[in-house]
Amino acid sequence: MEEVDFLSFNLVLFYHGGNRGISRAEDISVVGQPTKRETSIGFGILLVLAGIVIGIFIKQFHYNRAIIGGVLEGDTSAIRTAGLSGELLVEVAEGMVPLNPAEIFGPENLSDKIDGKAELYLSAGFLRLLCQRFAEASDSNSWMEGFVYDMGTLRRAFAVYSVQRRADAEKIPGMEFAYRTENALFFVHGKYYVEVIAAVMTEEIAEAMRSFAHNFIGKTEVQGGRIEELALFPPEGLDEEGITLLISDAFGFDRFDNVFIANYAVENVQLMAFLSMRENPSAASELAAAYHGFLMANGGVDVKSDVKIPGAKLVKILDTFELIFSQGKFLAGVHEAQDRGLAEKLAMTLIQKLSGAGT
Amino acid sequence: MNRREFLRRAAKASATIAATCSFAYWLYEDVPPGPLQGHSPVVLPDFSIPDLRGRMSIVTGRDRIQTIRRALKAIGGIEAFIKGGDRVLLKVNAAFATPPILSATTNPQLVAEVARLCFKAGASSVVVIDNPINDPASCFTLTGMAEAARLVGARVIMPTKESFKPTTVRGGALIREWPLLYDPFVGVNRVIGIAPVKDHHRSGASMTMKNWYGLLGGRRNILHQDIHNAIKELAVMVSPTLVILDGTTTMMTNGPTGGSLGDLKQTNTMIVSTDQVAADAFGATLLGRTVTELPYISKAESAGLGTADYESLNPVRESTG
Repeated sequence: MEEVDFLSFNLVLFYHGGNRGISRAEDISVVGQPTKRETSIGFGILLVLAGIVIGIFIKQFHYNRAIIGGVLEGDTSAIRTAGLSGELLVEVAEGMVPLNPAEIFGPENLSDKIDGKAELYLSAGFLRLLCQRFAEASDSNSWMEGFVYDMGTLRRAFAVYSVQRRADAEKIPGMEFAYRTENALFFVHGKYYVEVIAAVMTEEIAEAMRSFAHNFIGKTEVQGGRIEELALFPPEGLDEEGITLLISDAFGFDRFDNVFIANYAVENVQLMAFLSMRENPSAASELAAAYHGFLMANGGVDVKSDVKIPGAKLVKILDTFELIFSQGKFLAGVHEAQDRGLAEKLAMTLIQKLSGAGT
Repeated sequence: MNRREFLRRAAKASATIAATCSFAYWLYEDVPPGPLQGHSPVVLPDFSIPDLRGRMSIVTGRDRIQTIRRALKAIGGIEAFIKGGDRVLLKVNAAFATPPILSATTNPQLVAEVARLCFKAGASSVVVIDNPINDPASCFTLTGMAEAARLVGARVIMPTKESFKPTTVRGGALIREWPLLYDPFVGVNRVIGIAPVKDHHRSGASMTMKNWYGLLGGRRNILHQDIHNAIKELAVMVSPTLVILDGTTTMMTNGPTGGSLGDLKQTNTMIVSTDQVAADAFGATLLGRTVTELPYISKAESAGLGTADYESLNPVRESTG
């Protein structure tokens, strides 16, 4: 058998691959030495590969995680990556003019606009932010800014809305998820979470803010839908405007996602109920057991409970009581209750509501 | 193919694979890359004044102008820190293009008063800097700081790409070869950080140490993944002459941007200190938090940057009524 030189052997393997390459190599070994043309092509390919290797070798010395994949080193103009739109974000009241073009931010650069609060939105599935400032035509110091966060779904929009609800919130009549404060409007419209924030509090700016909200809602079509869990909290003693959706890591437990929490006043004592819809009943009971395990691993102690809920667990942890149970595909309970008896009482009303809803 | 030929070819293939792996192993480094060629890392000098370390004052009152004057006087007066001919850099928080009423940024009146006092003490120049990333001009304008600085003769320096140089923090694991807003520091011999007290979604609080974050460029948002160690490294990076923590209005919730006046609380306190760790430790109390809830404070203390036990400094406490 004639010898096949090493280069030709590997090139043939590279070209054909696997067993076909080997059989081809055998063919060549039979035919004889490669031609000059084949050798030249082979060396050419090797030179290209060597060039790539050298390029990677040089480039890797310049690795810097401050610059790889995103804003350039020392960049002061993230606005250019943010993107600009020549169009108005929303039509506003007469007498108002845009102070800047509409800006667009995505997940990769949201923090350029809102810094550390970006994590809140990103963890909830943020897609895009559009924002723009408007001022009175006669006074540029009288301005406001509108922020439209596209969260992808109503549920996610509600999540970021609910966790930021202000203590001085005043519900806006006629809107399901909306409130105003002294200088701002906050509301959910379909998959959008919207903030309109004023720099000054004048009647003109207040009217412009209302106009912004009205025009945005009127001209932005969204899919209908409801958040079913909101109706599953028993109404007695419930702070209806205080229901919050925690998208992830609720109560510090990394498996606790999509958890609704609601504040109650039971016999003048503040309590917190929670519920989370899972895929099926077995997933709900498994997660309840996992959360119980999490509490026990963090210093919790099982406490005997007389509550008439099958499978319910009562845990004392850090001088508070945690009551956990599952009902159908819902995981539910009472969180950090100071009073054991009131926790059991609230849990009973919660399971009755869940049972009544046919869960 | 006979057995001998098969073994020969298998040996050749094995040798090729072994050579490739050996070459890759030879290239592998388990330590971060060294300085960029031609871009030796810069390090900020120590701007603190050794004889004045450990000074702190806490002054209560609603009027920032009065409280900052009293607070500075209580620790020896601005003249103790600023001498004739000094070139002063004020690092403010201009992170957002938001109005002063939201208290998401350093108050412009406070900036103006501190700059004025520096000039009065003999400073030859006062510059005001921050790197808001998103549209710096809008941030300085809409926060009112550009106008405030202009009125007292201070100069706002807008960051440009050329203003940044790579820096590596001493002993740092995160801030290595990181772009630092360096050029404005050239020729400066006094640095004063001026920050508001704010809640922060990621770190729990944004005060004097977190304020240095605004000196970084690049993809600094990834530092939020290890925010407490990042803030500690920021405090290692900058040894200021003085820090001013403005707790006149504290952002209690929804920080660091806020957005509603409902996020704010009048806490009517001005803190001035040569110890940034102590200033933040006291600031935590304005937010209703403990030092243990803000791990970066303990980390900074452990790194020898100051004390979280601010009472050990015997802070001067006064009120402007």
